[in-house]
Amino acid sequence: MIQLHNVSMAYQQDASALNNVNLKIGKGEFVFLTGPSGAGKTTLLRLLYGALAPNRGQVLIDGQNISRLPASQIPYLRRSVGVVFQDFKLLQNRTVFENVAITLEVLGWGKADIGKKVMHILKQMGIESKYSLTPQRLSGGEQQRVALARALVNDPKILLADEPTGNLDDANKNQILSIFKEANVRGTTVVVATHDRRLIEQSHKRLVVLNKGEIVEQMEKGKNGDDQAL
Amino acid sequence: MNRWKKEKTATIKPYKRPTLSGDGFGGRFGYFVARAITNIRQNIFVNVVTVGTITIALLIVSLFLLVFINLEGAVENWSERVQVTVYFDKELTTSEQSVFRDKILALPGALRVGYVSRDEALKRFKNRLRGQETLLEGVRSDVLPSSFEIALKRASRETESVETFVSALKRIPGITEVQYGEEWVRRFNSFLSFVRLMGVLVGGFLVIAVLFIVSNTIKLTIYARRDELEVMALVGATRFFIKAPFLLEGLLQGLAGSTISIALLFGLYEGFLHNADSFLTFNPVTSGLGFLPLEYIVGIFVSGAVLGFVGSFTSLRRFINV
Ligand SMILES: Nc1ncnc2c1ncn2[C@@H]1O[C@H](COP(=O)(O)OP(=O)(O)OP(=O)(O)O)[C@@H](O)[C@H]1O
Ligand SMILES: [Mg+2]
Repeated sequence: MIQLHNVSMAYQQDASALNNVNLKIGKGEFVFLTGPSGAGKTTLLRLLYGALAPNRGQVLIDGQNISRLPASQIPYLRRSVGVVFQDFKLLQNRTVFENVAITLEVLGWGKADIGKKVMHILKQMGIESKYSLTPQRLSGGEQQRVALARALVNDPKILLADEPTGNLDDANKNQILSIFKEANVRGTTVVVATHDRRLIEQSHKRLVVLNKGEIVEQMEKGKNGDDQAL
Repeated sequence: MNRWKKEKTATIKPYKRPTLSGDGFGGRFGYFVARAITNIRQNIFVNVVTVGTITIALLIVSLFLLVFINLEGAVENWSERVQVTVYFDKELTTSEQSVFRDKILALPGALRVGYVSRDEALKRFKNRLRGQETLLEGVRSDVLPSSFEIALKRASRETESVETFVSALKRIPGITEVQYGEEWVRRFNSFLSFVRLMGVLVGGFLVIAVLFIVSNTIKLTIYARRDELEVMALVGATRFFIKAPFLLEGLLQGLAGSTISIALLFGLYEGFLHNADSFLTFNPVTSGLGFLPLEYIVGIFVSGAVLGFVGSFTSLRRFINV
Protein backbone atom coordinates (compact mmCIF):
# COMPACT_ATOMS: atom_id res chain seq x y z
CA MET A 1 0.00 0.00 0.00
CA ILE A 2 2.79 2.38 0.98
CA GLN A 3 6.35 2.01 -0.26
CA LEU A 4 9.29 4.34 0.23
CA HIS A 5 12.36 3.58 -1.79
CA ASN A 6 15.66 5.36 -1.04
CA VAL A 7 13.77 8.47 -0.06
CA SER A 8 15.77 11.53 0.94
CA MET A 9 14.31 14.87 1.82
CA ALA A 10 15.96 18.10 2.89
CA TYR A 11 14.24 21.39 3.60
CA GLN A 12 17.55 23.20 3.39
CA GLN A 13 20.65 22.35 1.42
CA ASP A 14 22.81 20.92 4.20
CA ALA A 15 20.31 19.64 6.80
CA SER A 16 18.47 16.51 5.68
CA ALA A 17 15.17 15.66 7.32
CA LEU A 18 15.01 12.15 5.83
CA ASN A 19 18.01 10.20 4.65
CA ASN A 20 17.75 7.22 2.34
CA VAL A 21 14.61 5.79 3.92
CA ASN A 22 13.23 2.43 2.76
CA LEU A 23 9.88 1.41 4.14
CA LYS A 24 7.10 -0.91 3.08
CA ILE A 25 3.70 -0.85 4.70
CA GLY A 26 1.23 -3.46 3.53
CA LYS A 27 -2.47 -3.06 2.88
CA GLY A 28 -4.44 -3.12 6.11
CA GLU A 29 -1.39 -2.68 8.32
CA PHE A 30 -1.26 -0.54 11.46
CA VAL A 31 2.09 1.15 12.00
CA PHE A 32 3.43 3.46 14.67
CA LEU A 33 6.14 5.86 13.69
CA THR A 34 8.21 7.14 16.58
CA GLY A 35 11.50 8.78 17.39
CA PRO A 36 12.84 11.89 19.06
CA SER A 37 11.79 15.37 18.10
CA GLY A 38 13.18 16.35 14.72
CA ALA A 39 13.61 12.73 13.67
CA GLY A 40 11.54 13.25 10.51
CA LYS A 41 8.18 11.73 11.45
CA THR A 42 6.11 14.65 10.27
CA THR A 43 8.22 14.94 7.15
CA LEU A 44 7.59 11.31 6.30
CA LEU A 45 3.83 11.68 6.71
CA ARG A 46 3.80 14.83 4.60
CA LEU A 47 5.43 12.89 1.79
CA LEU A 48 2.59 10.38 1.98
CA TYR A 49 -0.21 12.90 1.36
CA GLY A 50 1.62 14.93 -1.23
CA ALA A 51 2.35 17.98 0.90
CA LEU A 52 6.01 17.48 0.11
CA ALA A 53 7.91 15.87 -2.71
CA PRO A 54 11.11 13.97 -1.90
CA ASN A 55 14.44 15.26 -3.18
CA ARG A 56 15.46 11.74 -4.08
CA GLY A 57 13.83 8.36 -4.20
CA GLN A 58 10.28 7.25 -4.84
CA VAL A 59 7.10 7.21 -2.82
CA LEU A 60 4.46 4.76 -3.97
CA ILE A 61 0.89 4.73 -2.78
CA ASP A 62 -1.23 1.85 -3.97
CA GLY A 63 1.35 1.08 -6.65
CA GLN A 64 1.46 4.62 -8.01
CA ASN A 65 4.50 6.82 -7.82
CA ILE A 66 3.51 10.07 -6.18
CA SER A 67 6.97 11.56 -5.79
CA ARG A 68 6.62 13.62 -8.98
CA LEU A 69 2.88 14.05 -8.93
CA PRO A 70 1.74 17.22 -10.73
CA ALA A 71 -0.11 19.65 -8.46
CA SER A 72 -3.34 19.04 -10.34
CA GLN A 73 -3.29 15.36 -9.38
CA ILE A 74 -2.64 15.78 -5.66
CA PRO A 75 -6.32 16.36 -4.76
CA TYR A 76 -7.19 12.95 -6.19
CA LEU A 77 -4.48 11.32 -4.07
CA ARG A 78 -5.85 13.03 -0.96
CA ARG A 79 -9.34 11.73 -1.55
CA SER A 80 -8.09 8.30 -0.58
CA VAL A 81 -5.86 9.46 2.28
CA GLY A 82 -7.32 10.76 5.55
CA VAL A 83 -5.09 12.96 7.73
CA VAL A 84 -5.41 14.12 11.35
CA PHE A 85 -3.15 16.38 13.38
CA GLN A 86 -2.36 17.26 16.96
CA ASP A 87 -4.11 20.63 16.52
CA PHE A 88 -7.15 19.07 14.78
CA LYS A 89 -7.37 21.77 12.07
CA LEU A 90 -11.12 22.17 12.41
CA LEU A 91 -12.92 25.22 11.02
CA GLN A 92 -14.03 27.24 14.02
CA ASN A 93 -16.89 29.03 12.29
CA ARG A 94 -18.53 25.86 11.07
CA THR A 95 -20.48 23.26 12.97
CA VAL A 96 -19.28 19.73 13.67
CA PHE A 97 -21.59 18.52 10.92
CA GLU A 98 -20.25 21.01 8.39
CA ASN A 99 -16.65 20.23 9.30
CA VAL A 100 -17.18 16.56 8.50
CA ALA A 101 -19.37 17.22 5.46
CA ILE A 102 -16.53 19.07 3.67
CA THR A 103 -14.88 15.79 2.71
CA LEU A 104 -18.00 14.57 0.94
CA GLU A 105 -18.88 17.93 -0.61
CA VAL A 106 -15.50 17.89 -2.28
CA LEU A 107 -16.34 14.49 -3.72
CA GLY A 108 -19.56 15.86 -5.16
CA TRP A 109 -21.98 13.96 -2.98
CA GLY A 110 -25.59 15.05 -2.81
CA LYS A 111 -27.05 16.72 0.26
CA ALA A 112 -29.19 13.81 1.40
CA ASP A 113 -26.36 11.28 1.13
CA ILE A 114 -24.00 13.62 2.95
CA GLY A 115 -26.51 14.01 5.77
CA LYS A 116 -26.88 10.26 6.24
CA LYS A 117 -23.20 9.44 5.97
CA VAL A 118 -22.04 12.24 8.26
CA MET A 119 -24.53 11.41 10.99
CA HIS A 120 -23.57 7.77 10.68
CA ILE A 121 -19.89 8.43 11.28
CA LEU A 122 -20.58 10.93 14.06
CA LYS A 123 -22.55 8.17 15.76
CA GLN A 124 -19.60 5.82 15.39
CA MET A 125 -17.42 8.44 17.02
CA GLY A 126 -19.96 8.92 19.78
CA ILE A 127 -20.46 12.63 19.09
CA GLU A 128 -23.69 12.67 17.10
CA SER A 129 -25.40 14.80 19.74
CA LYS A 130 -22.87 17.57 19.16
CA TYR A 131 -23.42 17.83 15.43
CA SER A 132 -24.75 21.39 15.55
CA LEU A 133 -22.07 22.82 17.84
CA THR A 134 -18.97 24.68 16.73
CA PRO A 135 -15.59 23.12 17.66
CA GLN A 136 -14.72 25.63 20.38
CA ARG A 137 -17.58 24.26 22.46
CA LEU A 138 -16.12 20.73 22.41
CA SER A 139 -13.46 19.12 24.55
CA GLY A 140 -10.09 18.27 23.02
CA GLY A 141 -11.00 14.61 22.71
CA GLU A 142 -14.28 15.45 21.03
CA GLN A 143 -12.54 17.78 18.62
CA GLN A 144 -10.07 15.07 17.66
CA ARG A 145 -12.99 12.72 17.05
CA VAL A 146 -14.53 15.32 14.72
CA ALA A 147 -11.21 15.53 12.89
CA LEU A 148 -11.16 11.72 12.68
CA ALA A 149 -14.71 11.68 11.40
CA ARG A 150 -13.69 14.15 8.68
CA ALA A 151 -10.72 11.97 7.76
CA LEU A 152 -12.63 8.68 7.79
CA VAL A 153 -16.04 9.64 6.44
CA ASN A 154 -15.22 8.62 2.88
CA ASP A 155 -13.59 5.33 3.92
CA PRO A 156 -10.04 6.25 2.86
CA LYS A 157 -7.52 3.58 1.97
CA ILE A 158 -4.99 5.18 4.27
CA LEU A 159 -5.26 7.11 7.52
CA LEU A 160 -2.29 9.24 8.58
CA ALA A 161 -2.13 10.71 12.08
CA ASP A 162 0.54 13.11 13.30
CA GLU A 163 0.74 13.20 17.10
CA PRO A 164 -3.04 12.68 17.30
CA THR A 165 -3.19 12.34 21.07
CA GLY A 166 -0.67 15.02 21.93
CA ASN A 167 -3.16 17.19 23.77
CA LEU A 168 -5.40 14.53 25.22
CA ASP A 169 -5.81 12.78 28.58
CA ASP A 170 -5.68 9.00 28.96
CA ALA A 171 -9.40 8.35 28.64
CA ASN A 172 -9.51 10.32 25.40
CA LYS A 173 -6.32 8.68 24.13
CA ASN A 174 -7.90 5.28 24.54
CA GLN A 175 -11.01 6.35 22.69
CA ILE A 176 -8.96 7.71 19.81
CA LEU A 177 -6.84 4.56 19.73
CA SER A 178 -9.90 2.36 19.51
CA ILE A 179 -11.19 4.45 16.62
CA PHE A 180 -7.90 3.86 14.82
CA LYS A 181 -8.21 0.16 15.46
CA GLU A 182 -11.80 0.02 14.22
CA ALA A 183 -10.86 1.83 11.05
CA ASN A 184 -7.98 -0.59 10.65
CA VAL A 185 -10.26 -3.55 11.10
CA ARG A 186 -12.49 -2.21 8.33
CA GLY A 187 -9.45 -2.30 6.02
CA THR A 188 -7.86 1.14 6.29
CA THR A 189 -4.07 1.21 6.45
CA VAL A 190 -3.14 3.29 9.51
CA VAL A 191 0.11 5.18 10.13
CA VAL A 192 0.42 7.05 13.42
CA ALA A 193 3.38 9.24 14.29
CA THR A 194 3.72 9.71 18.02
CA HIS A 195 6.04 10.25 20.95
CA ASP A 196 3.60 8.54 23.22
CA ARG A 197 5.24 5.42 24.68
CA ARG A 198 2.11 4.25 26.46
CA LEU A 199 -0.02 4.49 23.35
CA ILE A 200 2.49 2.36 21.45
CA GLU A 201 2.90 -0.19 24.22
CA GLN A 202 -0.83 -0.58 24.72
CA SER A 203 -1.67 -1.26 21.13
CA HIS A 204 0.79 -3.99 20.15
CA LYS A 205 1.30 -2.86 16.60
CA ARG A 206 4.22 -2.65 14.26
CA LEU A 207 6.69 0.05 15.23
CA VAL A 208 9.11 2.04 13.10
CA VAL A 209 11.69 4.14 14.92
CA LEU A 210 13.24 7.10 13.19
CA ASN A 211 16.25 9.06 14.32
CA LYS A 212 17.91 11.94 12.50
CA GLY A 213 16.06 11.08 9.33
CA GLU A 214 16.94 7.39 9.28
CA ILE A 215 15.07 4.28 10.27
CA VAL A 216 17.07 2.91 13.19
CA GLU A 217 14.79 0.14 14.41
CA GLN A 218 11.72 -1.79 13.34
CA MET A 219 9.61 -4.05 15.46
CA GLU A 220 6.85 -6.33 14.22
CA LYS A 221 3.64 -6.55 16.20
CA GLY A 222 4.90 -6.42 19.77
CA LYS A 223 3.47 -8.93 22.19
CA ASN A 224 2.45 -7.54 25.50
CA GLY A 225 5.52 -6.39 27.41
CA ASP A 226 7.99 -7.45 24.72
CA ASP A 227 8.86 -4.04 23.46
CA GLN A 228 9.74 -2.57 26.82
CA ALA A 229 13.33 -2.55 25.62
CA LEU A 230 12.56 0.49 23.52
CA MET B 1 14.85 -2.90 -8.20
CA ASN B 2 13.28 -3.06 -11.65
CA ARG B 3 9.85 -3.11 -10.13
CA TRP B 4 10.39 0.35 -8.73
CA LYS B 5 11.78 1.77 -11.93
CA LYS B 6 8.68 0.82 -13.85
CA GLU B 7 6.43 2.95 -11.71
CA LYS B 8 7.30 6.19 -13.49
CA THR B 9 3.82 7.25 -14.53
CA ALA B 10 2.91 10.14 -12.31
CA THR B 11 -0.82 10.20 -12.77
CA ILE B 12 -3.48 9.06 -10.41
CA LYS B 13 -6.88 8.36 -11.78
CA PRO B 14 -9.73 10.03 -9.93
CA TYR B 15 -10.89 7.68 -7.26
CA LYS B 16 -14.42 6.41 -7.50
CA ARG B 17 -17.08 8.81 -6.37
CA PRO B 18 -20.31 7.36 -5.04
CA THR B 19 -23.75 8.92 -5.50
CA LEU B 20 -23.39 12.06 -7.51
CA SER B 21 -26.75 13.75 -7.16
CA GLY B 22 -25.30 17.28 -7.34
CA ASP B 23 -22.80 16.62 -10.04
CA GLY B 24 -22.09 18.20 -13.39
CA PHE B 25 -21.40 21.87 -13.85
CA GLY B 26 -24.99 22.83 -12.99
CA GLY B 27 -24.99 20.93 -9.72
CA ARG B 28 -21.55 22.23 -8.88
CA PHE B 29 -22.54 25.81 -9.66
CA GLY B 30 -25.46 25.49 -7.31
CA TYR B 31 -23.10 24.20 -4.66
CA PHE B 32 -20.66 27.07 -5.22
CA VAL B 33 -23.39 29.69 -4.92
CA ALA B 34 -24.77 28.06 -1.78
CA ARG B 35 -21.26 27.80 -0.37
CA ALA B 36 -20.50 31.45 -1.15
CA ILE B 37 -23.69 32.59 0.58
CA THR B 38 -23.02 30.39 3.62
CA ASN B 39 -19.46 31.71 3.72
CA ILE B 40 -20.73 35.28 3.76
CA ARG B 41 -23.06 34.41 6.62
CA GLN B 42 -20.35 32.61 8.58
CA ASN B 43 -17.71 35.27 7.99
CA ILE B 44 -19.96 38.27 8.37
CA PHE B 45 -17.36 40.52 9.96
CA VAL B 46 -14.80 39.88 7.26
CA ASN B 47 -17.44 40.51 4.62
CA VAL B 48 -18.58 43.75 6.21
CA VAL B 49 -14.97 44.95 6.21
CA THR B 50 -14.45 44.03 2.56
CA VAL B 51 -17.76 45.45 1.33
CA GLY B 52 -17.16 48.58 3.42
CA THR B 53 -13.72 49.07 1.92
CA ILE B 54 -14.98 48.58 -1.62
CA THR B 55 -17.88 50.95 -0.92
CA ILE B 56 -15.65 53.71 0.40
CA ALA B 57 -13.14 53.18 -2.39
CA LEU B 58 -15.76 53.43 -5.12
CA LEU B 59 -17.50 56.31 -3.37
CA ILE B 60 -14.30 58.33 -3.32
CA VAL B 61 -13.63 57.65 -6.98
CA SER B 62 -17.22 58.26 -8.10
CA LEU B 63 -17.51 61.43 -6.03
CA PHE B 64 -14.39 62.66 -7.73
CA LEU B 65 -15.85 61.72 -11.11
CA LEU B 66 -19.07 63.56 -10.33
CA VAL B 67 -17.27 66.73 -9.32
CA PHE B 68 -14.89 66.48 -12.24
CA ILE B 69 -17.58 65.91 -14.84
CA ASN B 70 -19.59 68.88 -13.63
CA LEU B 71 -16.52 71.08 -13.43
CA GLU B 72 -15.42 70.12 -16.90
CA GLY B 73 -18.94 70.69 -18.20
CA ALA B 74 -19.01 74.15 -16.66
CA VAL B 75 -15.62 75.02 -18.07
CA GLU B 76 -16.57 73.76 -21.48
CA ASN B 77 -19.66 75.91 -21.46
CA TRP B 78 -17.51 78.95 -21.14
CA SER B 79 -16.05 78.08 -24.51
CA GLU B 80 -19.33 79.33 -25.99
CA ARG B 81 -17.63 82.66 -25.64
CA VAL B 82 -15.00 81.73 -28.18
CA GLN B 83 -16.25 83.91 -31.00
CA VAL B 84 -14.75 85.34 -34.13
CA THR B 85 -15.87 88.76 -35.30
CA VAL B 86 -15.44 90.18 -38.82
CA TYR B 87 -15.69 93.98 -39.06
CA PHE B 88 -16.77 96.08 -42.02
CA ASP B 89 -16.47 99.84 -42.19
CA LYS B 90 -19.77 100.17 -44.05
CA GLU B 91 -23.27 98.82 -43.72
CA LEU B 92 -23.79 95.69 -45.84
CA THR B 93 -26.72 95.32 -48.15
CA THR B 94 -28.97 92.33 -47.63
CA SER B 95 -27.56 90.57 -50.67
CA GLU B 96 -23.99 91.25 -49.52
CA GLN B 97 -24.91 89.88 -46.12
CA SER B 98 -26.20 86.62 -47.55
CA VAL B 99 -23.15 86.21 -49.81
CA PHE B 100 -20.81 86.58 -46.87
CA ARG B 101 -23.01 84.44 -44.65
CA ASP B 102 -22.92 81.56 -47.16
CA LYS B 103 -19.19 81.83 -47.65
CA ILE B 104 -18.49 81.88 -43.89
CA LEU B 105 -20.82 79.00 -43.13
CA ALA B 106 -19.10 76.97 -45.85
CA LEU B 107 -15.88 77.11 -43.82
CA PRO B 108 -15.22 74.03 -41.70
CA GLY B 109 -15.83 74.77 -38.03
CA ALA B 110 -18.39 77.54 -38.42
CA LEU B 111 -21.49 76.96 -36.32
CA ARG B 112 -23.61 80.13 -36.49
CA VAL B 113 -23.26 83.52 -38.11
CA GLY B 114 -25.06 86.65 -36.92
CA TYR B 115 -25.02 90.04 -38.61
CA VAL B 116 -24.69 93.06 -36.34
CA SER B 117 -25.73 96.26 -38.11
CA ARG B 118 -24.37 99.68 -37.18
CA ASP B 119 -27.62 100.54 -35.36
CA GLU B 120 -27.49 97.31 -33.46
CA ALA B 121 -23.88 97.99 -32.51
CA LEU B 122 -24.80 101.42 -31.20
CA LYS B 123 -27.66 99.98 -29.20
CA ARG B 124 -25.31 97.47 -27.55
CA PHE B 125 -22.79 100.20 -26.88
CA LYS B 126 -25.42 102.31 -25.18
CA ASN B 127 -26.54 99.37 -23.11
CA ARG B 128 -23.06 98.85 -21.90
CA LEU B 129 -22.67 102.45 -20.89
CA ARG B 130 -26.01 102.66 -19.14
CA GLY B 131 -26.03 105.51 -16.66
CA GLN B 132 -23.37 107.38 -18.57
CA GLU B 133 -25.37 107.96 -21.76
CA THR B 134 -24.19 111.55 -21.85
CA LEU B 135 -20.82 110.27 -23.07
CA LEU B 136 -22.50 109.09 -26.23
CA GLU B 137 -24.35 112.26 -27.00
CA GLY B 138 -23.80 113.20 -30.59
CA VAL B 139 -22.40 109.81 -31.48
CA ARG B 140 -24.13 108.46 -34.53
CA SER B 141 -24.25 104.90 -35.63
CA ASP B 142 -22.07 105.47 -38.68
CA VAL B 143 -18.91 105.85 -36.62
CA LEU B 144 -19.31 102.26 -35.52
CA PRO B 145 -18.47 99.27 -37.72
CA SER B 146 -20.98 96.66 -38.77
CA SER B 147 -19.92 93.09 -38.18
CA PHE B 148 -20.50 89.36 -38.48
CA GLU B 149 -20.29 87.40 -35.25
CA ILE B 150 -19.30 83.78 -35.82
CA ALA B 151 -19.78 81.03 -33.26
CA LEU B 152 -17.59 78.00 -33.70
CA LYS B 153 -18.35 74.34 -33.40
CA ARG B 154 -17.21 72.80 -30.12
CA ALA B 155 -14.40 70.86 -31.75
CA SER B 156 -13.01 74.01 -33.35
CA ARG B 157 -12.64 76.10 -30.21
CA GLU B 158 -9.06 75.14 -29.49
CA THR B 159 -6.35 77.73 -30.07
CA GLU B 160 -4.97 76.19 -33.24
CA SER B 161 -8.32 75.41 -34.85
CA VAL B 162 -9.41 78.98 -34.19
CA GLU B 163 -6.25 80.28 -35.86
CA THR B 164 -6.79 78.01 -38.86
CA PHE B 165 -10.37 79.18 -39.09
CA VAL B 166 -9.37 82.82 -38.95
CA SER B 167 -6.78 82.49 -41.70
CA ALA B 168 -9.37 80.72 -43.88
CA LEU B 169 -11.76 83.52 -43.10
CA LYS B 170 -9.23 86.15 -44.16
CA ARG B 171 -8.90 84.48 -47.57
CA ILE B 172 -12.53 85.36 -48.36
CA PRO B 173 -12.34 88.44 -50.62
CA GLY B 174 -13.69 91.52 -48.89
CA ILE B 175 -12.86 90.37 -45.40
CA THR B 176 -9.93 92.20 -43.90
CA GLU B 177 -10.55 92.86 -40.27
CA VAL B 178 -10.97 89.88 -38.01
CA GLN B 179 -10.86 89.78 -34.22
CA TYR B 180 -11.17 86.77 -31.99
CA GLY B 181 -9.83 87.58 -28.54
CA GLU B 182 -6.63 85.71 -29.27
CA GLU B 183 -5.31 86.01 -25.75
CA TRP B 184 -8.55 84.90 -24.13
CA VAL B 185 -8.86 81.85 -26.36
CA ARG B 186 -5.34 80.86 -25.53
CA ARG B 187 -5.75 81.27 -21.83
CA PHE B 188 -9.08 79.55 -21.80
CA ASN B 189 -7.71 76.56 -23.65
CA SER B 190 -4.68 76.19 -21.45
CA PHE B 191 -6.97 76.39 -18.42
CA LEU B 192 -9.15 73.64 -19.87
CA SER B 193 -6.15 71.39 -20.48
CA PHE B 194 -4.96 72.15 -16.96
CA VAL B 195 -8.31 71.09 -15.52
CA ARG B 196 -8.20 67.89 -17.56
CA LEU B 197 -4.61 67.13 -16.60
CA MET B 198 -5.36 67.65 -12.92
CA GLY B 199 -8.38 65.44 -13.30
CA VAL B 200 -6.33 62.64 -14.82
CA LEU B 201 -3.56 63.05 -12.22
CA VAL B 202 -5.79 63.25 -9.16
CA GLY B 203 -8.12 60.59 -10.55
CA GLY B 204 -5.23 58.30 -11.41
CA PHE B 205 -3.73 58.77 -7.98
CA LEU B 206 -7.08 58.02 -6.33
CA VAL B 207 -7.57 54.89 -8.42
CA ILE B 208 -4.11 53.59 -7.55
CA ALA B 209 -4.57 54.31 -3.83
CA VAL B 210 -7.97 52.67 -3.88
CA LEU B 211 -6.72 49.60 -5.73
CA PHE B 212 -3.92 49.27 -3.22
CA ILE B 213 -6.23 49.52 -0.21
CA VAL B 214 -8.87 47.19 -1.62
CA SER B 215 -6.41 44.53 -2.74
CA ASN B 216 -4.70 44.59 0.64
CA THR B 217 -7.98 44.32 2.49
CA ILE B 218 -9.02 41.34 0.39
CA LYS B 219 -5.60 39.78 0.89
CA LEU B 220 -5.93 40.17 4.65
CA THR B 221 -9.46 38.76 4.77
CA ILE B 222 -8.40 35.75 2.75
CA TYR B 223 -5.32 35.37 4.93
CA ALA B 224 -7.64 35.32 7.94
CA ARG B 225 -9.41 32.36 6.35
CA ARG B 226 -6.35 30.43 5.19
CA ASP B 227 -7.28 27.49 7.46
CA GLU B 228 -10.37 27.05 5.30
CA LEU B 229 -8.21 26.85 2.20
CA GLU B 230 -5.87 24.45 3.97
CA VAL B 231 -8.63 22.10 5.10
CA MET B 232 -10.25 22.06 1.68
CA ALA B 233 -6.92 21.14 0.12
CA LEU B 234 -6.35 18.49 2.78
CA VAL B 235 -9.57 16.63 2.00
CA GLY B 236 -8.78 16.61 -1.71
CA ALA B 237 -10.52 19.65 -3.17
CA THR B 238 -9.16 20.75 -6.53
CA ARG B 239 -7.87 24.29 -6.84
CA PHE B 240 -10.92 25.30 -8.85
CA PHE B 241 -13.23 23.85 -6.23
CA ILE B 242 -11.49 25.77 -3.45
CA LYS B 243 -11.39 29.02 -5.37
CA ALA B 244 -14.84 29.12 -6.95
CA PRO B 245 -16.83 30.04 -3.80
CA PHE B 246 -14.25 32.68 -2.87
CA LEU B 247 -14.39 34.20 -6.34
CA LEU B 248 -18.19 34.29 -6.25
CA GLU B 249 -17.97 35.83 -2.81
CA GLY B 250 -15.59 38.49 -4.17
CA LEU B 251 -17.95 39.19 -7.05
CA LEU B 252 -20.91 39.59 -4.68
CA GLN B 253 -18.85 41.81 -2.37
CA GLY B 254 -17.90 44.00 -5.34
CA LEU B 255 -21.50 44.30 -6.54
CA ALA B 256 -22.72 45.07 -3.02
CA GLY B 257 -19.98 47.66 -2.58
CA SER B 258 -20.77 49.39 -5.87
CA THR B 259 -24.52 49.39 -5.21
CA ILE B 260 -24.07 50.96 -1.80
CA SER B 261 -21.56 53.51 -3.07
CA ILE B 262 -23.84 54.61 -5.92
CA ALA B 263 -26.75 54.89 -3.48
CA LEU B 264 -24.61 56.97 -1.11
CA LEU B 265 -23.36 59.13 -3.97
CA PHE B 266 -26.91 59.76 -5.12
CA GLY B 267 -27.90 60.63 -1.55
CA LEU B 268 -25.02 63.10 -1.32
CA TYR B 269 -25.92 64.59 -4.69
CA GLU B 270 -29.59 65.02 -3.79
CA GLY B 271 -28.71 66.46 -0.43
CA PHE B 272 -26.34 68.92 -2.03
CA LEU B 273 -28.89 69.89 -4.66
CA HIS B 274 -31.56 70.74 -2.11
CA ASN B 275 -29.49 72.38 0.56
CA ALA B 276 -26.67 74.03 -1.29
CA ASP B 277 -28.45 77.23 -2.37
CA SER B 278 -28.43 78.37 1.25
CA PHE B 279 -24.65 78.60 1.31
CA LEU B 280 -23.76 78.90 -2.35
CA THR B 281 -24.23 81.97 -4.48
CA PHE B 282 -25.94 79.97 -7.18
CA ASN B 283 -28.85 77.60 -7.23
CA PRO B 284 -27.51 74.17 -8.21
CA VAL B 285 -30.93 72.98 -9.38
CA THR B 286 -31.10 75.56 -12.13
CA SER B 287 -27.39 75.68 -12.88
CA GLY B 288 -27.47 72.35 -14.66
CA LEU B 289 -25.54 70.38 -12.07
CA GLY B 290 -25.95 66.81 -13.26
CA PHE B 291 -25.60 63.33 -11.73
CA LEU B 292 -23.25 60.82 -13.30
CA PRO B 293 -24.31 59.73 -16.79
CA LEU B 294 -25.64 56.17 -17.09
CA GLU B 295 -22.50 54.76 -18.67
CA TYR B 296 -20.46 55.93 -15.68
CA ILE B 297 -22.87 54.23 -13.27
CA VAL B 298 -22.64 51.02 -15.27
CA GLY B 299 -18.87 51.51 -15.22
CA ILE B 300 -18.87 51.76 -11.42
CA PHE B 301 -20.90 48.54 -11.15
CA VAL B 302 -18.51 46.77 -13.46
CA SER B 303 -15.45 48.13 -11.62
CA GLY B 304 -16.93 46.96 -8.31
CA ALA B 305 -17.49 43.47 -9.64
CA VAL B 306 -14.07 43.36 -11.28
CA LEU B 307 -12.42 44.74 -8.13
CA GLY B 308 -13.99 42.05 -5.93
CA PHE B 309 -13.34 39.23 -8.37
CA VAL B 310 -9.81 40.10 -9.40
CA GLY B 311 -8.88 41.05 -5.84
CA SER B 312 -9.96 37.63 -4.61
CA PHE B 313 -8.37 35.92 -7.58
CA THR B 314 -4.92 37.43 -7.07
CA SER B 315 -5.05 37.01 -3.29
CA LEU B 316 -6.00 33.34 -3.61
CA ARG B 317 -3.04 32.73 -5.87
CA ARG B 318 -0.77 33.62 -2.98
CA PHE B 319 -2.32 31.11 -0.59
CA ILE B 320 -3.21 28.16 -2.75
CA ASN B 321 0.01 26.53 -3.77
CA VAL B 322 -1.23 22.99 -3.56
N1 LIG C 1 9.13 23.58 7.24
C1 LIG C 1 10.40 23.27 7.56
N2 LIG C 1 11.41 24.04 7.11
C2 LIG C 1 12.69 23.73 7.41
N3 LIG C 1 13.05 22.68 8.16
C3 LIG C 1 12.09 21.89 8.63
C4 LIG C 1 10.71 22.15 8.35
N4 LIG C 1 9.98 21.18 8.96
C5 LIG C 1 10.85 20.39 9.57
N5 LIG C 1 12.12 20.79 9.39
C6 LIG C 1 13.33 20.11 9.88
O1 LIG C 1 13.32 18.80 9.42
C7 LIG C 1 13.69 17.90 10.44
C8 LIG C 1 12.61 16.87 10.68
O2 LIG C 1 11.47 17.54 11.13
P1 LIG C 1 10.10 16.82 11.43
O3 LIG C 1 9.08 17.86 11.64
O4 LIG C 1 9.84 15.83 10.36
O5 LIG C 1 10.42 16.08 12.79
P2 LIG C 1 9.43 15.27 13.75
O6 LIG C 1 10.00 13.91 13.87
O7 LIG C 1 8.04 15.40 13.26
O8 LIG C 1 9.61 16.09 15.10
P3 LIG C 1 8.53 16.31 16.27
O9 LIG C 1 8.46 15.05 17.03
O10 LIG C 1 9.10 17.43 17.07
O11 LIG C 1 7.24 16.68 15.61
C9 LIG C 1 13.99 18.74 11.67
O12 LIG C 1 15.39 18.91 11.74
C10 LIG C 1 13.32 20.04 11.39
O13 LIG C 1 14.05 21.11 11.95
MG1 LIG D 1 6.25 16.27 14.01
